[in-house]
Amino acid sequence: MSVLKWWSGLLVAFLLLALLRVFLPLPFANEIMIFSVYAIGCNFLLGRVGFISFGQPAYLAVGAYGTAFYLFYFGTNPYIGILIGIISGFVVSLAVGPLFVRLRSDYFALVNLALAVIIFFLMQKVLAGITHGDDGLWFLTRMDSTPVLDLTQPDQFFIFAFLIAFAVWAFYKYIDDSIYGACCLGTKINEDKLKFLGYNTYNIRLLAFVIANTTTALAGSMYAIYLGFVSPEITSPARVADPIVVTILGGVGTLYGPIVGAIAYTGMKDLLSQVFGNWELIVGFLLVFIMLAGEKGIWGTLAPVLERTFTRLTAPRSAPAPRTEPGVKGT
Amino acid sequence: MKSDDILTVAGLNVSYGESKVLFNINLNASSGQIVACVGRNGAGKTTLLKTIMGFLKPTAGTVTSNGTSLIGRAAYVVAAMGVKYIPQDKKVFSDLTVRENLELGSYATRDYDWDKVTTYFPKLKQLMDRKAGYLSGGERQMLMIGRAILGNPKLLLVDEPTEGLAPSIVAQLKDVFRELSSKSTLVIVEQNLPLVCAIADKVYALNEGHVMAELADREQIKPETCEQYL
Repeated sequence: MSVLKWWSGLLVAFLLLALLRVFLPLPFANEIMIFSVYAIGCNFLLGRVGFISFGQPAYLAVGAYGTAFYLFYFGTNPYIGILIGIISGFVVSLAVGPLFVRLRSDYFALVNLALAVIIFFLMQKVLAGITHGDDGLWFLTRMDSTPVLDLTQPDQFFIFAFLIAFAVWAFYKYIDDSIYGACCLGTKINEDKLKFLGYNTYNIRLLAFVIANTTTALAGSMYAIYLGFVSPEITSPARVADPIVVTILGGVGTLYGPIVGAIAYTGMKDLLSQVFGNWELIVGFLLVFIMLAGEKGIWGTLAPVLERTFTRLTAPRSAPAPRTEPGVKGT
Repeated sequence: MKSDDILTVAGLNVSYGESKVLFNINLNASSGQIVACVGRNGAGKTTLLKTIMGFLKPTAGTVTSNGTSLIGRAAYVVAAMGVKYIPQDKKVFSDLTVRENLELGSYATRDYDWDKVTTYFPKLKQLMDRKAGYLSGGERQMLMIGRAILGNPKLLLVDEPTEGLAPSIVAQLKDVFRELSSKSTLVIVEQNLPLVCAIADKVYALNEGHVMAELADREQIKPETCEQYL
């Protein structure tokens, strides 16, 4: 696939986010960054491969608890904690993926939901001896300050989260432009056709599942480091729809959708909730509106308008027609 | 089974659950031949192609290509063995461009020689950046055939390629199939008898899952002869 437009728009989107940092409270900006990473994985599964998963909090929790266990019981370096969170997500998604990706869309959604519920009760009850149940694991004061970017400082964590979100976005942009991205879209559009061409679609789906859920685990690790605390609430059944809501709000299958969705959702949760108690009600109405308006989401609707405006602004102006004096023929 | 038989189907029986669809089908196609299967709707033509491709499991019988059994192999393995299936529905990857559709064909076969595609279908050259979902029926068929011939398959299974197409496109496809037969063996399921009679080296007439006739002599392959079996 063409990678000529590799950098197109990439800087613009993230510079806007960096600007937002100037105007928005730090916790809000940090949450947007983490939620963006969380939603990018879900967006890939839903928009590119056609998998709707109500179990993303399970993989978020796996990453978060992987990081938390390390920082609570074994070490103090948050970077190693994040690495362990990523590895945990990779291992779990590789373990359940071969079974889950055999299922078709609706059963896939439900089996992932079941995994989220299993992990919730594992962390809350069964493994309460090591997870401290609902009290959670607190390790904020156990983390060492790190050189270059000190992840224990919220302002420096923002820069780290920004760079991670940028790298994850660029990685998914690369996948989208690659032949593998086309294969993923092929499995979503017409899986049999890919088989006719000689592709093992099971392997394509499995790889997508592992990539997306490892990304989700990375978001979980970032949450753990940012909050310095993890509890079973992270994989609560009440939160299973969050990443899907963010993805749909932003625009399914669009590269900027997860970022826009994260800003909209976090904005409503953190800012709107200060003036309007039942903010979920607004999200609900907004989702109904988006579905009825063509399922394009905020970015899916805005993108064509912005594209047209940008094209109009950058199009070379045509030279003015030469004025001809009345009665004089042009040569 | 002759050594130059690209495809041999022997005693093939296929069922959809309790409903039996194909009964003791015998068919063979030699190298460079165009073999046509004709028959009414519901005769079992598409089922036959899907079974050869590995999408359906027969209840009895064998399907071999160059002596290698295709039974029990996944469709993508059969495709990798050089057997390509062009389905009837003309559905392409609509969200991908023509170029990306061809790239999918190229990547699977490691064959990036698109000249042979654009030689058969020059129109595709101008449509490279168009989303495949915006192509006409004829253009989609060109794309599907073009994508399938990448990798120089030894056997092409083509399901109702001219259905719903304009006569000019049908005429173009006729020439393309003739040229393709110099490199690949073609098994074509088709109801367009003039086309079949113009290009086929062998015709199997199917009715309600049975082979009613095998016309292997070019002199026999005439619309009126074929029609009596439909």
